[in-house]
Amino acid sequence: MARGAVYDRGYRPYDGPRGGRRAAVLALWKASVRRAIGLRRTWRQKVLPFGLLAVVCIPAAVNVGIGYATRNSPLEGFSFFTYREYVGVSSSLLLFVAVCSPDVICPDRRQRVLPVIFARPLTGSDYVLAKLGAIGSIVFAFSFLPQVLLFVGQTLVSKEGSLAYVRDNAEILWQVPVAVAVLAVYYAALSLAIASLTPRRVVAGAAIFGVTIISSIVAVILEEADALSGRGTLFNVLALPLEVRDLIFLGHIHQDSDLAGVAGGGALALVTYLVVLGLSLGVLFWRYRWAEA
Amino acid sequence: MPRGLVGLVGANGAGKTTLFRLLLGLARPTEGTVEVCGHQVTADPIGARSRLGYMPEHDCLPLDQTAADVVSTLGEISGLPARAARQRASEVLDLVGLDEARFRPVGGFSTGMRQRVKLAQSLVADPELALLDEPTAGLDPTGREEMLALVARLATFGISVLLATHLLDDVARVCDHVVMLDGGRLVVAGPTETLLHQTGKFTVEVNAGIGRLTRALTERGLTVVAAGEAPLDGEAGGAIDVVVGADPEPVLDTIRDTLADLGLPLQRLTSRAASLDEAFMGGEL
Repeated sequence: MARGAVYDRGYRPYDGPRGGRRAAVLALWKASVRRAIGLRRTWRQKVLPFGLLAVVCIPAAVNVGIGYATRNSPLEGFSFFTYREYVGVSSSLLLFVAVCSPDVICPDRRQRVLPVIFARPLTGSDYVLAKLGAIGSIVFAFSFLPQVLLFVGQTLVSKEGSLAYVRDNAEILWQVPVAVAVLAVYYAALSLAIASLTPRRVVAGAAIFGVTIISSIVAVILEEADALSGRGTLFNVLALPLEVRDLIFLGHIHQDSDLAGVAGGGALALVTYLVVLGLSLGVLFWRYRWAEA
Repeated sequence: MPRGLVGLVGANGAGKTTLFRLLLGLARPTEGTVEVCGHQVTADPIGARSRLGYMPEHDCLPLDQTAADVVSTLGEISGLPARAARQRASEVLDLVGLDEARFRPVGGFSTGMRQRVKLAQSLVADPELALLDEPTAGLDPTGREEMLALVARLATFGISVLLATHLLDDVARVCDHVVMLDGGRLVVAGPTETLLHQTGKFTVEVNAGIGRLTRALTERGLTVVAAGEAPLDGEAGGAIDVVVGADPEPVLDTIRDTLADLGLPLQRLTSRAASLDEAFMGGEL
């Protein structure tokens, strides 16, 4: 028979280094990222984020594959889509934020974890920044990685040579990260703001979908009725960041956009984008104002 | 408040949790100032919180995470480096008796185990002062004993404790000092021992002749009051309280001699110890 022994190892005071608010925000950001992409959780929680990452990478892989297969044929240089259009593919990550944003913010309220978080050296604003940073950085990474895959692949299969391809597409190197950041910050702020209004994940996820779908329908109705002379599309919260994307890539509103015929359409889109972003951030900070120092 | 184990006693709504919120800087005082471990809370709430550990009364744990993950993550949010937080989490979970269960999700824990995790997360950053809100709430007698034993040990580790409870017995058993609140106001504060014992009375209980004893002691210059509901006259048995002056010895001699002279059967002669309940109800000390 095995003999056990109980050892009372007592208590060792901690006299090592301690970080302040910055360390607290970083720790909360790390924990939220882990949670959102399912690390240290069951495989089921990993399916959605990594499945979506795989899905948004497929177009890049196909495009590069076609580029490689046709590089010595008359179809050489054929491309399914441009980098600008591929940023739009990342808007499918709305599905991701509709699930993950509620998951990183609602349980803290529902399971009443907030009091033990705010008993530590951080404020309500720090909490918001950590959560915003977590969702924003994941959306950025998941949108940016496929673009990197596409760019590296195109560079490698380019007939003119890698250096020539990079030189010819140098502007992509700043346009893509900026456009992706525009999308990531917007999706993170909007989805977290909506999720912060309820402690229930399911309700929050449905509300995120609801707001985007309803705003799209409203925009279509306004456009069809020609009520606002092409400005109805500004009510489409899903399309707004894509208008800003076009400003980054093209310097103006895309010709296919309903805003194309509107004087100052680009500025209007940018201002509306900033207003929605500002309102979302306002709601978020307001919801956690009670924990301000 | 002094260092060590301090009991914060009061009925529901007395202001215990509000006081904790004030100490954590999550509420602002309408007047006056709050100072915690040398930090003015209003001016420097972050500095104050970095010295505090907090165990809320209510559930406060993410149910789908393991105890080790919960405690180490909260340790990191307290400012510990990641590796140190993991090590401290392991140590404090060991300390509270959850060494083997720490890799299981909290959602599968019993109430007692969850209370231990809550205590562990409050200790993970080695606080100077731990604010424990009703740590024995919902525990069975064995669990309560174990939790009180853990709390009592904290002072030996150099961690001061402010233990909020409405269970006076818990405070009487583990705390050095007591602060009693009622409706947001201070009722009484002082060392537990003082509150328990300094009543300045002896209780004398006899099986018969309580009336004769009362008269005889009064004639000999002592002040006698009723102890409980029993009358001070008649030939039945009963108990009386005799007020003691600065020097109890002559009073005890007089009581002994009077009992002997009257030939009354003595059942009990004790120093009258007030319970914390009496101190709380009367605010008498």
